[in-house]
Amino acid sequence: MLNPETIRFKSPEELKEEEIERKIKERGPEGEILGGIVFEEEKVIDPETKEEKIKRYIYIGNPYEERPIITKLETDANQEEIEAIKREIIPMKESFEILEAMARTYKHRQPLLIEGPTAIGKTYLAEKFTELRYGKGVKPLDFYCSGQTDVSELMAKWVPKVETEEEKKKWNEFLESVEAKEKISQIAKEVEQEEKLSQEQKLALIHKKLQELAKSAGLSEKTQWRFQYGAVPKAMGLIKNPDGSFSFDEQKGMGFTLHIEEVGLAEPQVIDALLKLRGKRGQLAEEIQLWENGGRKVKAGPKFWVFFSTNPPEEYLARNEVDPALARGVVFKRMGELSEESLRLAADYYFTYKLSEKPKEKPEGCILDIYNHPEIGREISKVVSAFHNDLSKELKKKEKDRTQRIPLTLDDMARVADALIDTQIRNKETGWLDLTETLKKLIRFYYLDRLADEDLKMTMENNLNELLEGDTGKIEFEGKLLTRKEIFDILVERASITEEEKQRREEEKKKAKERELKQAQFNAEDAVNSLLKNPKIPESVKKLLQE
Amino acid sequence: MDKNELNTFIHLLQKVFTQKQPPFDLGLIVRESKNKIEVKEIFEEIKKFVDIERIVYDEKIFDEDVIDKIVDTFSKNRWVFLEIKKDVGSPLLNQLKHLANYNSFQLIDYQGKDIFEVKMPENSRLIVFAERDFIENKITYPHFYRLFGPTLSLK
Repeated sequence: MLNPETIRFKSPEELKEEEIERKIKERGPEGEILGGIVFEEEKVIDPETKEEKIKRYIYIGNPYEERPIITKLETDANQEEIEAIKREIIPMKESFEILEAMARTYKHRQPLLIEGPTAIGKTYLAEKFTELRYGKGVKPLDFYCSGQTDVSELMAKWVPKVETEEEKKKWNEFLESVEAKEKISQIAKEVEQEEKLSQEQKLALIHKKLQELAKSAGLSEKTQWRFQYGAVPKAMGLIKNPDGSFSFDEQKGMGFTLHIEEVGLAEPQVIDALLKLRGKRGQLAEEIQLWENGGRKVKAGPKFWVFFSTNPPEEYLARNEVDPALARGVVFKRMGELSEESLRLAADYYFTYKLSEKPKEKPEGCILDIYNHPEIGREISKVVSAFHNDLSKELKKKEKDRTQRIPLTLDDMARVADALIDTQIRNKETGWLDLTETLKKLIRFYYLDRLADEDLKMTMENNLNELLEGDTGKIEFEGKLLTRKEIFDILVERASITEEEKQRREEEKKKAKERELKQAQFNAEDAVNSLLKNPKIPESVKKLLQE
Repeated sequence: MDKNELNTFIHLLQKVFTQKQPPFDLGLIVRESKNKIEVKEIFEEIKKFVDIERIVYDEKIFDEDVIDKIVDTFSKNRWVFLEIKKDVGSPLLNQLKHLANYNSFQLIDYQGKDIFEVKMPENSRLIVFAERDFIENKITYPHFYRLFGPTLSLK
């Protein structure tokens, strides 16, 4: 019996939490993930106008977790947009791990750094996370690091105003020289040390020094200089306008998402500049001071957030580890390779065409509407994911000493799936789709022609042939051990035959069955007759048989 | 040069139906060391299929000018054939990566706007041409091949 003293009534907040958690963990009839991201609208009273208005929120949590940590964020997107964005995310475990980390760190204004292989989709998820908060089609402000990245692109620079093409050429040549870059950075340092000067005086000093520099390089000292902010201050002070465009206000901007990619490739001076973003208690800095502009401060708006991403050091020749100081100043998340389960899930999504609307009409070049045959797609996905996995392993072994790396991404699989719709080869004997040859051709374009190593290319071509047509690639299909080519041929034949042909075959099957039945009936009658004629069978049994 | 292969390469770049985001790929044509075909010949062959403009990226041109030229070519709904003859500088590399990731350029303080987005029109594409040895030995960005979808290797 229940003890009334132990009965606890749940608060409305607790009930709401449980409802959200249930939606986050929601699964479909086949166990597929449907949750992960939940949209809600809430009525709130505006504290200033006292008017009631609707606010939109998203809840993000990892549906693979038994007790997910769920983060609630305000969004500009509507329900339709959120549902569309959700459909574009393959519900892999790794994707939700990343989204969950993004939501949590964004909410607390903490910079996030994810180090992980290309295939886990860091860039893609940064875009989707931005869309989840701002609406479909809104992209983060991106900054890509490379060995040649200049600090001025990131923070700020002075640009000469020039009129003619000839002048422009001269200035560009000068500004691109190492000497000019060093001297300009020296000017900023010198101004930084002039602590007693006011900001205006510092600016005047910068102008004077820039003009002297131009004169020393044989360029016009009368040139006007224009100050230009780089990606960091821009992201700190961006304002998203109602028409979707962006404008910048260094004091009142709301701030926006800045995605700094491949930070592992950044040179030390770029890292030094990025360290300015570290604020108190592991949060982002509330403002930064730019000596290039006489020490003027740029405020970070409340929505300013930085996401760093990089590939693991083994994907670069120089094994660039993330700078320790930077790693300490961010929430650092290391991710491993995509699991085989996730890879198969992604392949299944691509080859059964779950990620977008299917073509309404058969496109030109399409022999078989493969997108309407998930049973074929599932078999193709097994082949392509196995090949993808093999090549990925081989590339890691073979590319050890090369500068160029070819980390495979899920896009490679998606490309093969997309092209398979309207780039098909016909089997000259049957007139139907030759799926094996088509796959070979597309895999060559998307996977193999990039390879510089001819031996590896040949090995992988042989492996693919073996996988498709050889004994080692055989699998059980409908109770028989068959090659993938044989399975493809059976499935293509079933999908290709016309309705008339299908009916004719059904009729034939039916007639054959009737014939079999009739034959069985005759056989039974013959057996009974022979028993009846047998003198050794007792009359009582014969009577029973006759009945 | 196998014209069938080139035809398929162009077709793969043109494809309309796509689950991948962004929808359009950048294409890469790699001339292998033993192949002696002239760039001009390849360009003229592609010209038979699509309306395309050739831009040479070498020591004589600055990244900003190449970006301006690509923006201009896109504004005319034409394809770009970008011949790479020097290591790709940071400004151009940034924009090529953005084009591969989002099918658009994202330019700061460009044409009077704080953030200027130039979308690659539906009828435009960008094909990069480079020699294999050049990519392998001169391009310092280690994931150069990753910027591209279909690759045509000219043996």
